Amino acid sequence: MLRTALRAALLVPLLLALPATPADAEDLALPVPAGVLPPIVPPENPLTAEKVELGKKLYFDRRLSLDDTVSCATCHDPRHGFAEPRPVSIGVGGAKGVRNAPTAFDAAFLATQFWDGRAATLEEQAKGPITNPVEMALPDEAAAEVKIGGLPEYAPLFEKAFGDSKVSIDRIAQAIASFERTLVDVEAPIDRFAAGDASAISESAKRGWELFNAKARCNTCHGHVSAYPLFTDDLFHNIGVAAKDVNFEALAKKLQSHPEDLDKLSHEPGLNQLGRFIVTKEHKDIGAFKTPHLRNIALTPPYMHDGSEATLEAVIEFYDKGGNPNPWLDGGMRPLGLSVQEKADLVELMKTFTSDGMERFAPLAELMPKP
Amino acid sequence: MAINLTPKELERELRERSSDAERLIRSLQNCDRRHFLKVTARFAAMVAAAGVIQPQSFQLVNVAHAQPVPGEKPEALFRFAYISDSHLFARGMTHRFAKGLLKAVDDVNALDPQPDFVLYGGDLAQLGRADELELGQQILSGLKAPVRMMVGEHDWFLDMGVKWREMFGPDVYSFDHKGVHFVVLNSVQEKDFWTAKGYTPEQRMNIVAGLDDARQSRFEVGEEQRDWLAKDLAKVDKKTPLVVFSHSPLYKYYEPWNFWTDDAEQVQALLFPFQTVTVIHGHTHQLLTNRIKNISFHGMLSTAWPWPYAPQGLPEYTVQMFRPDPFNQFDGLGDGTADVLPGGVVNKHYSLWNRNPRTVTYADLAGNTLAGPRGHAGPSY
Amino acid sequence: MTARSIAWMAALGAAALAGYSGLAGGLRPAESEAWASRTVYACDQRKAVIVEGVRADEKLPPAKAQRVADLLTDLMRYCNEEITATIALNETITVEANGRVFHDYVPGGPLPIAKASFGEPTAREEQIWKAELDKLVAEGDRLFHSDEIGTNGVACAMCHPHASNTHPESYPKFQTQLKKVALLRDMVNWCILNPLEGLELAENDPKLKALEAYILAQRRGVALDAGKH
Repeated sequence: MLRTALRAALLVPLLLALPATPADAEDLALPVPAGVLPPIVPPENPLTAEKVELGKKLYFDRRLSLDDTVSCATCHDPRHGFAEPRPVSIGVGGAKGVRNAPTAFDAAFLATQFWDGRAATLEEQAKGPITNPVEMALPDEAAAEVKIGGLPEYAPLFEKAFGDSKVSIDRIAQAIASFERTLVDVEAPIDRFAAGDASAISESAKRGWELFNAKARCNTCHGHVSAYPLFTDDLFHNIGVAAKDVNFEALAKKLQSHPEDLDKLSHEPGLNQLGRFIVTKEHKDIGAFKTPHLRNIALTPPYMHDGSEATLEAVIEFYDKGGNPNPWLDGGMRPLGLSVQEKADLVELMKTFTSDGMERFAPLAELMPKP
Repeated sequence: MAINLTPKELERELRERSSDAERLIRSLQNCDRRHFLKVTARFAAMVAAAGVIQPQSFQLVNVAHAQPVPGEKPEALFRFAYISDSHLFARGMTHRFAKGLLKAVDDVNALDPQPDFVLYGGDLAQLGRADELELGQQILSGLKAPVRMMVGEHDWFLDMGVKWREMFGPDVYSFDHKGVHFVVLNSVQEKDFWTAKGYTPEQRMNIVAGLDDARQSRFEVGEEQRDWLAKDLAKVDKKTPLVVFSHSPLYKYYEPWNFWTDDAEQVQALLFPFQTVTVIHGHTHQLLTNRIKNISFHGMLSTAWPWPYAPQGLPEYTVQMFRPDPFNQFDGLGDGTADVLPGGVVNKHYSLWNRNPRTVTYADLAGNTLAGPRGHAGPSY
Repeated sequence: MTARSIAWMAALGAAALAGYSGLAGGLRPAESEAWASRTVYACDQRKAVIVEGVRADEKLPPAKAQRVADLLTDLMRYCNEEITATIALNETITVEANGRVFHDYVPGGPLPIAKASFGEPTAREEQIWKAELDKLVAEGDRLFHSDEIGTNGVACAMCHPHASNTHPESYPKFQTQLKKVALLRDMVNWCILNPLEGLELAENDPKLKALEAYILAQRRGVALDAGKH
């Protein structure tokens, strides 16, 4: 316990030149303000400096893909808020995916991972893209183990992190997840404003905040709760993003004849639009996708599960019209009747969700391959 | 009769629909009933072609499992659908109650195969006004299957049913269909509470419209109608399955809200002699199930707003729905279908909007094996 | 009596008065910290506690403030009486009431002044007060059942007949629709804004008070259970 605490205490200055840890050495050294529920750390993967260092290397390592071209960072790019600047991600061999990769930043807080919530932890999520044919395209998990295992530079890192140099997919995932747990920050102007600092945001953003919590009806799904300031309810809603192009009933019937591979289904053109329904098979989840968190939202365009809304302005327009009608449209969606000024105020508001301390993550951008 | 869309409502309507529909919607502005029928049919076809199909025909139970083996579960003889309690204001197509009824019509139109008929369960209008009833009729005329109308108190007490009968025919009638005898009652009669007080028709209607307004009387079928029912049933063999459509529940659930029929016992006495009796009722706007001797009672969902479970009197057979979320204007609402099985027993299907559907099978009801929290386990009061 | 002797008597009287007031008020040398005092009044403005050793603009330390509050509450037993108590620097309490002074008073102890018989409400007063309450509740009832609060014809009573399913006894609680801890009136306003599509009422709007009064009156006797979901 003490050893872990010491290591945790060493973790922060060692790695990213973060500010010193809180006085209590029992805390895992994640920079989370008092009163905020800390990110979830599974008991079987306690956070250590060595795991984080190994995870960081793996996160940026394109050799985790079939042809050494795609790493985690390719789609969860530190230069773009750890998210995907293209509408959908492009994997090995130019394979086009169907989803816009969500940001890895602050993902450590969320109850589930992926747009359809099919992974319960970051560890589980990390395994998915590695073997996904349209992402990193390794044939199976064993291939990842063999490939990483065959790189001598990793042996000492695995040894330090896990006690021996054996490379397993679980260890790879645990290391990557540990690194991602350091990609957290929940201190932005909006948090200071919500805590009572009236000068923290502009007048326009303040008007936006009033709208966010009343007329624009954002807060019921994207609420800022002081103990959980992620702007998400961690639930799944059909807001009709792809409803214009999709026949849900036909898709649901088609699902009957498909194998149960959730990862595969979630990338199948067409079928993936069933969203959460693929995971739960529950009627009410047809076409429902996870409420994404909104931290750093201004850094992570485009928006929605298919990247179909390019800008924050476009997102506001989408909600103002009440989403796209479809039989499973969440009854909370409705036309809002926002004025031009009100829409602009909401956009200004969302810019205040960007964390103050993002520049300390800037060195990670240097690890991206030069063009 | 033109549909009155104000320019603002029209604009909102346009923003909601695709550009093809915009042209259609524009044409609704100065539209008579016949034209409306054509327009709605085209609209429905266009919607279907665009691939936006409604959920009703999608049977969840088939998704995760193999097709049922014939004979393993009784196949239905026929199916009818229901839409109920729409409580329309005459405020155009974009009013939330109109949207609810439109959504239900879309649901039923998308059923495949189509039901044999659709029961409209009463309370089409909110305040019994001619323009409300006409709006309702126009929306319902978009249904592909034939419609059987039933009256509710909100339709009746402005003019005591004059306009309703003019538009929809007799309020009390019976018919036979595929070996089942159907009876449609007007079970929202009330003893005269208005003459002595000198209430105007509008005042009378407003009083009746208040669920918790104690100035009105309790619902009843009434002696005249019970006599009619006795004569009608005298011609029916006791083995013939009976399905009774009624707006009030035909049993006594909660008197202060008129979840109640005052002469329920006398009506039930007329029904008990029959082998298989099912009552389908409206008015309660909630998932509701009861069984008294050999009579099954099923409540219909509303398309307008949900009601909480009453503080007392909830039948023990009812598996409650969790209280609706007011953020979601469709939560706790919906429509549904009923399968009539061999022998005339009924499986009742609730298509709850934004929730998983529920089926109350005859087998579970008769055997009292319905799964879920019963009695006052729910949170709603 | 000569003018001279009257003048002497007046002078003596003045001196005596000065001396007396000096005695009654205690010997008061020039104003200094030790002789500063702060007076705290009860809500009826008829009970006062003078705390010695605290300046008029100085906040009482918590223990002392609690002592003052306890003493005021104790003296409130004598409704409608004007009573002044003084807590001296040495913590002893002196009480003045009806022109009499009682030294070394212990809160809860007997104070030999008659408890005012007119402190308790009369039947007539209660009748008047109830009539006022019923008026507010009736106004709330009217608003609750009317369509004038919102813009779409929906009334509160549509989803909440007899104010059922409002459960005011469960507030304050985290209200999931608002994403924060709310009071009953916050939820009333949310419902006005959302299902009723109306404008929120100001905190001090009489309509909001009427609605709240109606809802609470329907739940008389139900135990408070803040946070119940």
